[in-house]
Amino acid sequence: MIDFSSPKHRSKFGYLLLAPAVILMALIIIYPILLSVDISLQDVRIARIGGDHAPWTTKNYEWLFHSEEFWNAISVTARMVLIVGGISLIIGLATALLVNQNFKGRALARLFVALPWAVPEVVATVIWAWMLDSSFGVINWMLLKTGLVSQAVQFGSNATAAFMAVCFVMIWKGYPLVSIMLLAGLQSIPAEQYQAAKVDGANVWQRFIYVTLPNLAPVIGVTSVMTTLWVFRDFSIIYVLTQGGPIGATTTLSMLTFEQAFAFFRMGQGAAVGVVTMIICAIISRALVGRFAKSVH
Amino acid sequence: MTKRSPLAGIALYTTVIGVCVILLFPIYWMFLTALSPRTQLRVYPPNFLPRDPQWTVFSDLLASQPFGLWMWNTILIAVATMILSLTVGVLAAYALSRHRLRGGQALGLFILTSKMLPATLLVIPLFAIFKSVGLVGSLWSVVIAQATLIVPFATWMLKGYFDTIPPELEQAALVDGCSPLGALIRVVLPVASPGLAATALYAFVISWSDFLYARTFLTTSESQWTLNVGIATLKGEFVTDWNTIMAASLMAAVPIIGVYLFLERYLVGGLSAGSEK
Repeated sequence: MIDFSSPKHRSKFGYLLLAPAVILMALIIIYPILLSVDISLQDVRIARIGGDHAPWTTKNYEWLFHSEEFWNAISVTARMVLIVGGISLIIGLATALLVNQNFKGRALARLFVALPWAVPEVVATVIWAWMLDSSFGVINWMLLKTGLVSQAVQFGSNATAAFMAVCFVMIWKGYPLVSIMLLAGLQSIPAEQYQAAKVDGANVWQRFIYVTLPNLAPVIGVTSVMTTLWVFRDFSIIYVLTQGGPIGATTTLSMLTFEQAFAFFRMGQGAAVGVVTMIICAIISRALVGRFAKSVH
Repeated sequence: MTKRSPLAGIALYTTVIGVCVILLFPIYWMFLTALSPRTQLRVYPPNFLPRDPQWTVFSDLLASQPFGLWMWNTILIAVATMILSLTVGVLAAYALSRHRLRGGQALGLFILTSKMLPATLLVIPLFAIFKSVGLVGSLWSVVIAQATLIVPFATWMLKGYFDTIPPELEQAALVDGCSPLGALIRVVLPVASPGLAATALYAFVISWSDFLYARTFLTTSESQWTLNVGIATLKGEFVTDWNTIMAASLMAAVPIIGVYLFLERYLVGGLSAGSEK
């Protein structure tokens, strides 16, 4: 028995504590990633492991870059990231500024504002699916009542409407987290900076531009990366609401990966889409994090 | 704090209440629809207040679907995921917080990687692995797969908490003859309990919300489904029974909403602290 309390063995104890995490991560993240790359380089219909290894081929990647579906998925994902990320950031910041004010019932308001975050994605999506129902949904009733549309919107079959519906659900579900994080960021800004700005005669708007925004930049950066990756990753909302349809209008890269692998059983092609998605995500987060990190220093 | 003019006060409260009403309307609508009699679901204009609530919808649901079983599966998975990721996470976080180890940086990279991965990519190799070891269809497959999301985040969050606890605390225990592991369990963990609670709840919420892994690994038999898989299937099959689906959704959402309302402070604090770094 090794005595871990002796200084000689202290670091051994550290490694021992770390071991379960490292082994687990290696088994369920690193190995699967390598396996994915391997599968993406084979022409396989059903994922095999231990069975005979098909010869390596770049067929799946060639298919990828020549298929319209892939480029469509890129465009859908990019538009979704911009719309969901942009709107979440704007209303998230507005909400954070709102509940950062000093007023009675502020704790309750904060509790409510973040609540949609706790609703499971599938549940959130099912609720919205019912509200967006083309014949009896409350949203269509409101749209018709206010005269914004003259005919009930067919969220299931109209490509633009389906896309907007998915974005809407994502914003409702995802933006509370953005506002939670921005609120935490706001609270860490030293009050002296505001007082100094006030003494210098800065008005509310100037204080926002010159004090709040620069201080929030790192949090905004992290939050943008998180939201972007979340839209890239999301599966439940799209799958439950539209299944990627109509005619690919809501097929993001994630949906395409799943569809190829588990609907058409083209594991190789699915894995290829996934690997490309992972590379895009890596580049985006690297670029965004680097940029915001620089703006801090 | 400068005094606000009454007009500004009214404007502030109106905005806050307006924002809350718009945000929470879908949750209210779920309650309302669940309790509405079927005949009331297709009226124009819709009823915005409960009229003749039907509590039998819950017993109907339990009678017509293996709903209790789905809930049980969901609870089992969530609890197992919570225990697994918390155990592994506590040990790793403590090691990273107290020992300068080579490889600490690599773990940071792991965390970034797992946040970046499209879950739909991981699901393909995990499916292949689980298939070869006979785990497809077992609840364990989902528990293990969810650890990909939760362990890295739990480790990160807990490391933040451990960093705030002075190391002298367990050093004193060591001097008194406590073993290093004993010092962690008896001295550090009680002090870190708010952090532990936040991390445990985070794990629970994420696990409870999972759809992708359960949908892919548990397709073999209906009795293995989780709430989310069941609800998604209900939506596909019975498009007309919106009150039944909303009742199911309500039962899936209420435990999590309850957890959230009770422990919002820890949860939100832990989340924002964990992700700011």
